[in-house]
Amino acid sequence: MNFFKCSALLAMAISQGFAAETLFSNWTFKVAPGSETGKLYVFSRGDVASGLTELPLKPTSHGITVDKSNQTSVGDSMTAVHDGIFIDTWAERRRTPSTFAGDLGLVLPMYTTDKNGSFEDPAGIFSVRNIERIVETPLDPPDFAEDLDSAMMYAPTGFAYDSATKTLWIARGAAGITQYDISGGPNHPDITNFILNKKDAKLEKLKQSYSYKKSKNASVLDVALHPETRALWLATENGLWTYDGSSLTPNKSLDTTKRVTGVWIGGEPLQIIAEVSKLGSDGVQGSLWRSTNGTRFKKVNFLDTTGTVQKKDIFANANYTVTDVAFLGNRAFIAVSSTGGKESGYLLLDSAGVRAWETDENDGSQWLNGFERGVTDRDEVITSITTFPLTSKITGLAVSTYGNGISVSADSGATWTSILNRAKLSNNLGSIRMVPSVIKAEGMQALVSYKVGKSSKITIEVFSYDMRKVRTIVKDAPREADNSRSTYPKEDFWDGLDDHGRPCTMGVYYVRVKDNHGNVGWGKVMTLGGR
Amino acid sequence: MKHLLKTSLSAILALAATSQVYAIERKATLGGFDGFVERMGAGTREMGRGNTGSADTASMPGAYWNPAILGFRENLTYTLNADKRDLDRMGGNVGIEGRVGNRMGVGFAMLYRGDLSFDVVNEDDETVGKATPYFTMLYLGFAYRATRRDAFGLSLSMSYDNLDISEHIDGYEVVDDYRSPVTINLSWLRQWNKNWSTSIVIRNLSFSENLSAKWDRNTSTDNSLPSTEGVRPKILQIGLGYRSNILGKPVYAWMEAIDYQVADTLLAFDPQLHVWTGRVGFECDIIEGGTVRVGMDDLDFTFGLGYKFNLRIGKKKYLFDVNYALLYESDAGLWNPLSFGLRGFIP
Repeated sequence: MNFFKCSALLAMAISQGFAAETLFSNWTFKVAPGSETGKLYVFSRGDVASGLTELPLKPTSHGITVDKSNQTSVGDSMTAVHDGIFIDTWAERRRTPSTFAGDLGLVLPMYTTDKNGSFEDPAGIFSVRNIERIVETPLDPPDFAEDLDSAMMYAPTGFAYDSATKTLWIARGAAGITQYDISGGPNHPDITNFILNKKDAKLEKLKQSYSYKKSKNASVLDVALHPETRALWLATENGLWTYDGSSLTPNKSLDTTKRVTGVWIGGEPLQIIAEVSKLGSDGVQGSLWRSTNGTRFKKVNFLDTTGTVQKKDIFANANYTVTDVAFLGNRAFIAVSSTGGKESGYLLLDSAGVRAWETDENDGSQWLNGFERGVTDRDEVITSITTFPLTSKITGLAVSTYGNGISVSADSGATWTSILNRAKLSNNLGSIRMVPSVIKAEGMQALVSYKVGKSSKITIEVFSYDMRKVRTIVKDAPREADNSRSTYPKEDFWDGLDDHGRPCTMGVYYVRVKDNHGNVGWGKVMTLGGR
Repeated sequence: MKHLLKTSLSAILALAATSQVYAIERKATLGGFDGFVERMGAGTREMGRGNTGSADTASMPGAYWNPAILGFRENLTYTLNADKRDLDRMGGNVGIEGRVGNRMGVGFAMLYRGDLSFDVVNEDDETVGKATPYFTMLYLGFAYRATRRDAFGLSLSMSYDNLDISEHIDGYEVVDDYRSPVTINLSWLRQWNKNWSTSIVIRNLSFSENLSAKWDRNTSTDNSLPSTEGVRPKILQIGLGYRSNILGKPVYAWMEAIDYQVADTLLAFDPQLHVWTGRVGFECDIIEGGTVRVGMDDLDFTFGLGYKFNLRIGKKKYLFDVNYALLYESDAGLWNPLSFGLRGFIP
């Protein structure tokens, strides 16, 4: 069933299939470095269509600005984001992989609809040659596809590009690994499929007569290329392996008993981060492992605010899986989200481990960086993270969110700027927009968008149709003048509740925004109610 | 009259003030519950005097105000009203009622409220369409006149709402229209003498548990969205009417005290679970057929004018009553000067 229709994540909504001002859609799933310095690729998926945006970014004293974005739709029959991305319990399928692959450009997975109408049929890869040319590149399903429980068992879940041999490696689950050699040109690939024979410790060419055996073969769940040794690292359901072009070697730390669902290599000193994740009786059970400078893999420590190693880490408390990893110097930013997307954010990993930070007294300390740390200005799911060259001197950091566009930082995550589609507003509360204007379910929110021409104290109240005040959102809250909007997203939203936390009944509600200069504006919002 | 006005206003303001004080502690606010169509009253004539109408045998539509009123009907009567409020809010109502036999009356009323211009904005901050959601309440009332002075009434009511947004929402099979189950309203009206009348109306009883008017709404046809709940508070509405003459001019004073029980229990005695409001209205026939009205509904101020005249059509004289009302919604600071109504009596 379509995840947009059945996911437990209620904070979902839909975007349109036409180009918007800044992003193809605010529902973004992947950020990746663009074709040149200062540019980012952002993949969005709405319910109508999916598309890619190329964002030229510029750091200014007011944050990061977008000059003029370029967008391309990939249509409504293909997408890079499958329907189960939030609700799938297998970690390797809960992220959108990508890599830059030479003449192929940015590579993303490609899904089409299956017989149930869900985007859960792996069809190949998207090759983004440039923002105006996205090539649909089909990959044949394995011959034994019908023996598998689901087509998603051979979904492309990891990419690695070897620029020396001009070879793209694609992790394809039960279908093993695909060698996509473009040394003859991107339009004339030489494609070879391999299956991992764990018994004989070798990669075997996939023959037509091959029959998949779980006892003999290991699904390849992710792949990464070691930048120094050029060895290929394979995360498989039976441990971590390295392949040097001729021999396949299992890793001693992350041996065949472990289901390794992701492997990422980068940073200075060079780090290899691996995710171990499996479905246990209590839900998803995962852990993070790291090897620095070729040392043996060790489980990543989670430290409290005093630096003491904790027995229980973030993975012990929730069904977290890694959605992306970005390296910046000796640190790694590890984006994670829980099943259903209820909790998401990134872990900041340094040489000692993941450090907790203090919230307020009630919440205690926590490891996840997200909404509370100002990474996003609305509490939406963080779906991916990347570093990219923002300028020749600054390495930028960007996260994609499900519903609030992307956030970009020019100072290694200390401060963030949200970049998303925004309609133009009239000044001095001349127009109030509720975004979205229909609250479809309890738990969703509508942002109160407004603009003031000078610093103001803002009061926002919600009235029922019969003009009874049901909610005061903020009272005399200081807001600054802004060219775009003065809304403070962390406070200026209505969640469909009255002043006592009870969901208001279905109907139209009127939102009054007043400033201390005598300006008054009204917006309208509808809620479908709650229980 | 002056004294009565002062006393009544003091009483109503005290009631309202008490209500405000309690509101701080209240578990729920009334605006978040179903039933705003009902709470906003019906009839331009009644609006002009603070939406008071339950203790007046001339109030229309009787099936809405107090079905016992129908027991006092002598002729076939009808009413048509419309108002346009600020923020594109449009409302109106129609009613028709008459006498059945010697002691009974029957009436039908339909109340309508809607928004003429609701922009559907998606999560990408794009306006994807314009909706005109509307909300209606239907009433079918019956009355039995037990004595010359007393009548008892019963009305069945239900709501039909249409949000008009489904064509603009992609990805979900959103349902537009909703119907509530039938709820029951019971009432009594007594005309004590030529000066005084009283009424008691109990609204929104249902056959469900706790006699609560509560129902489920499936907001999507494919269960992509969770179902929600409709709850219409039980209402106890007590009305008082007083008629007199001042300087030879007929004057009328009307008061209503309304208790909303915002809890899904049979009876709740905890004041935290009740919202109290009051209405007060005055009118004076300043010229032959011409009436001036003022009133307060909760903290909203109203002003009204009315004029009655006869038109001879054929051999019969038909009485018409045209009305105008102005409403100031105090909490929101909105002036609403466009409310017009017509009542007619068919001999």
